[in-house]
Amino acid sequence: MRERETEPGRSPGADGIPLGDASNGADTMERTDREAQALSLNERRLLAALAPLGQAGAAALGCALGATPDAVVQYASLLAQNGGLAAVERKVETSYALTDEGRRYAADGLPERQLLASFGDRASMTELKSHPLASIGIGWLRRKGWIAIRDGVVEKAGEAPAGEDERALAVDTLVDGPGLRELLKRGLAVERESVGYRIAIMPAGRALVEAGLDLREELGQLTHEMLLTGSWRDALLRQYRVDRLPRRLVPGKVHPYQRLLDEMRQILLDMGFIEMGGGLVQSGFWNFDALFQPQDHPAREMQDTFHLGGEADLPEGWERVRAMHEHGGETTSTGWGGTWQEAKARQQVLRTHATALSIQHLAAHPNPPVKAFAIGRVFRREAIDPTHLPEFEQLEGIVMDEGVTFSHLLGFLREFYRRLGFPQVRFRPGYFPYTEPSVEPEVFVEGLGWVELGGAGVFREEVTAPLGLEHPVLAWGLGASRLAMLRLGLKDLRQLYRSDIDWCRETPIRRGGGGR
Amino acid sequence: MPVITLPYRYLERLVGLDRETIVDRLPMFGSDIERREEDHVDVEFFANRPDLFSTEGAARALRGFLGLEEGPVRYGTTPSGIAFSIDPGLTGIRPYLGSAVIRGLALDEEAIVSLMGLQESLHWAVGRGRKKVAIGLHDLAHIMPPFQYLASPRDRSFVPLDFEEEMTMEAMLEAHPKGRAFAHLVRDAPRFPLIVDANDQVLSFPPIINGELTRVSTATTDVLLDCTGIDRRAVETATTILCAALAEAGGRIESVEIDGVVSPSLEPSFREVSVDECNRLLGLGLDAPAMAALLRRMRFGAEPVGAERIRVEVPCYRSDIMHDWDVFEDVAIAYGYGRFEAVPSRTATIAEERPESRLKRSVREALCGLGHLETMPFVLTSEAVLFSQMRREPDPRALRVLHPISEEQAVARTSLLPLLMELLEYNRFRELPQRLFAVGETITGFETGLGTAAVSCHGAADFSEAYGVADALCRELGLAYTAVESNDPAFIEGRRGALVVDGVTVGVFGEVHPEVLGAFGLDHPVAAVELDLSAQLQ
Repeated sequence: MRERETEPGRSPGADGIPLGDASNGADTMERTDREAQALSLNERRLLAALAPLGQAGAAALGCALGATPDAVVQYASLLAQNGGLAAVERKVETSYALTDEGRRYAADGLPERQLLASFGDRASMTELKSHPLASIGIGWLRRKGWIAIRDGVVEKAGEAPAGEDERALAVDTLVDGPGLRELLKRGLAVERESVGYRIAIMPAGRALVEAGLDLREELGQLTHEMLLTGSWRDALLRQYRVDRLPRRLVPGKVHPYQRLLDEMRQILLDMGFIEMGGGLVQSGFWNFDALFQPQDHPAREMQDTFHLGGEADLPEGWERVRAMHEHGGETTSTGWGGTWQEAKARQQVLRTHATALSIQHLAAHPNPPVKAFAIGRVFRREAIDPTHLPEFEQLEGIVMDEGVTFSHLLGFLREFYRRLGFPQVRFRPGYFPYTEPSVEPEVFVEGLGWVELGGAGVFREEVTAPLGLEHPVLAWGLGASRLAMLRLGLKDLRQLYRSDIDWCRETPIRRGGGGR
Repeated sequence: MPVITLPYRYLERLVGLDRETIVDRLPMFGSDIERREEDHVDVEFFANRPDLFSTEGAARALRGFLGLEEGPVRYGTTPSGIAFSIDPGLTGIRPYLGSAVIRGLALDEEAIVSLMGLQESLHWAVGRGRKKVAIGLHDLAHIMPPFQYLASPRDRSFVPLDFEEEMTMEAMLEAHPKGRAFAHLVRDAPRFPLIVDANDQVLSFPPIINGELTRVSTATTDVLLDCTGIDRRAVETATTILCAALAEAGGRIESVEIDGVVSPSLEPSFREVSVDECNRLLGLGLDAPAMAALLRRMRFGAEPVGAERIRVEVPCYRSDIMHDWDVFEDVAIAYGYGRFEAVPSRTATIAEERPESRLKRSVREALCGLGHLETMPFVLTSEAVLFSQMRREPDPRALRVLHPISEEQAVARTSLLPLLMELLEYNRFRELPQRLFAVGETITGFETGLGTAAVSCHGAADFSEAYGVADALCRELGLAYTAVESNDPAFIEGRRGALVVDGVTVGVFGEVHPEVLGAFGLDHPVAAVELDLSAQLQ
């Protein structure tokens, strides 16, 4: 658990809690009043009890207040912290107590004393040994010189005065001395260390008491009954301190990464874009072939793309895509050459980019104007490490209209990134198999310099012609996880999908600053 | 994409400018600077520009882009008189061959390393891992023309590069590192490709390994080039680009006759492109002379033909020019991407959200309101997480990827609850209570659906909490449900319920079974709800 004692940058004095600076005499009365109110009833009662005594032990004060010594120490500590109203001194005290055996002997006498009293002037050894305390007592009788033994006969040796041990045992309170040492040695008494607290009232505390303390009973809860009866008017409600932070609550929240995705979605909706959708499973045809990605492109291989079993249906007019790949169809293009294989187009894959959705949206909406976007999960066959994941979110936007140009594309990119909080954007040439010209936008990030963020271009005629599209298509894509690293300050992308709950709890809903 | 090492001294000599100026302008020409070292810079060029994969090729383009030269470089060839023949038995194995002789080279160690780098990059970008084309360079001093490209018996022996003893070609596929790396390209062929000279000495076993005999060294001045492959265009591209790079390095290119056909052809190709089409694509207002000047900077030949058309001479090495728009992109690069006006079009459309986005937002609103934190687990997971750890029977409709990287990401999630259990496991040392939820795609068969799940893990999590959340969620989503007893083994018997909407079971809720908790390493009870929302989208 986090420390909740202090909050940085927050001055306790500002919240009306006294800090003990009484330099301004004119304010003294008011200040004293506020100080007294800030004390709990228990603290005020302790001060009141302490005032006539000056100082006292915690146990004694506990008796007076009807509280445990521990509670008294707690109240006193608060008084001490709170402007030095009282002082608490910790003392280690040694005390002694009799063991069970010691208590028996304190009542009945030591074994040797009892044994001595059990016979007259003399007795036979056999007789003496039958006494229940014989095994302990006979040795002590001899050691103390109270008896003499001759030929199996025990004889008293005269007076047997009480020793230090017996005198110590007779006193109510055990005090240190030779007698007690003897009892400790015989295991009849034990030594105990105990911590005691002495509490003293300080001048500031005395001043509060002299100004008068309200010692009425405090109520913790304003109740239904109090409101119904109006008794709340006479009640003293406990007052709370505001320089202690409350229990930390965490609201149910949308995931920080989802909020970022929602922000991008909102920007595109604001710009009038229609949202596209589609399945996570796509045919090679839509994921690659319709985008003029050559069939032997490395990205299509098993090493880079998650292939699935099964065979997908091809859409009507797929032959035009084949013609485009093989020889450029009816355009000025040469195509890729070679033989286009239908079977490869029918292979099913986990979609590798959201462009697979764009091209299908265009096939279904071939007439201008089209402005559409998608934000969704895509898959690449990569081993998991801090900067590579086999799945991540990608954003894709397209614009198709009469007379749109590459310059307009750069305009949409600049506007999108500006709204996303990146006012400085530059454009570098890029390469993607399905766009021409292609561009890699970069945004300027303080401390990092120019950072590549996504890719864009105008769909090649080899892509648009087989679908019968007659106007240019501007397209751009953006890996959202890369943006998340920039915006959420992540070093490890796994945090997005295998989140540490504490990170979600602590990432605030509203992000401040960022020039937005 | 291939990373090309450009040594500064060589680059400065070939370009004629200092390294700072060159490196400064490289990004705007179309490349990523990978890293800068003391004596070289590593640059990533795009996969469609193999002509830039050598210091010589990059320098040729940069001299134009930086305004030092313009127009195309033309490479002439003279006949070498050397003949090559192709064995018809190679049809169906590796039938295409390109070749040339390059004389008068003075190769230092740096130049040889550069040449090897070009070869490797071409193998990757044009050859697709030597499949479509593989390249061999041979010291001409040790061999005697004419040369033969044969379909050889597989047990023919010779000394492969980096070895001292003869071995059979079949043995090389096991014993030679390159043999092991590329064996898959020839293993099933009845005979193996082989290049020999007039004295039956072996030059190469393409696409696997050259012979030690023709190793190229700093002593080499004359080189025989062979490019073999299964794709005629790729073979021609590789041959052309290597000849052009070696010509830039100071070599004289001589042609070879392959069964009577002259190789290489370093002739340019021609296209007549429209100025208007270019302006309409780019959003510029260039006239024909301005556009032609830009193209000459990109090392095309370009002459206006009237006001509207330009005759473009495309150098032999520009294999990326497939379409007029490829030419127009070079106009844009020469013009400068930074100079475009960059204003969005006024295309007016009305925004519209997908129904699933609205539904997901409703789920988020309801579950956040109930105090749950959203999570976004992976789609790919394991059979163990989805089924056995949940005490559930494997679903035969679960979609398995064909070549998973690990068993941990082998199956697409069919529901979300198991992934939330796994997230609780990751967070088992974090403070309780933990209330989590997820909403997102699921896959059944090949169909994408939508689901949600919520879990609550703390000392007092119980059936009532699960039922309460399920009830609230369904009410807020407007799902008129009935709850019936469930038999889902993931939950405790008698503390589980199924949610039925329109006669179909779409969800389950209850107290998670202690064995499931154990399987996920949890030692506090979990109340859970799982709901399939796919039907709500139809």
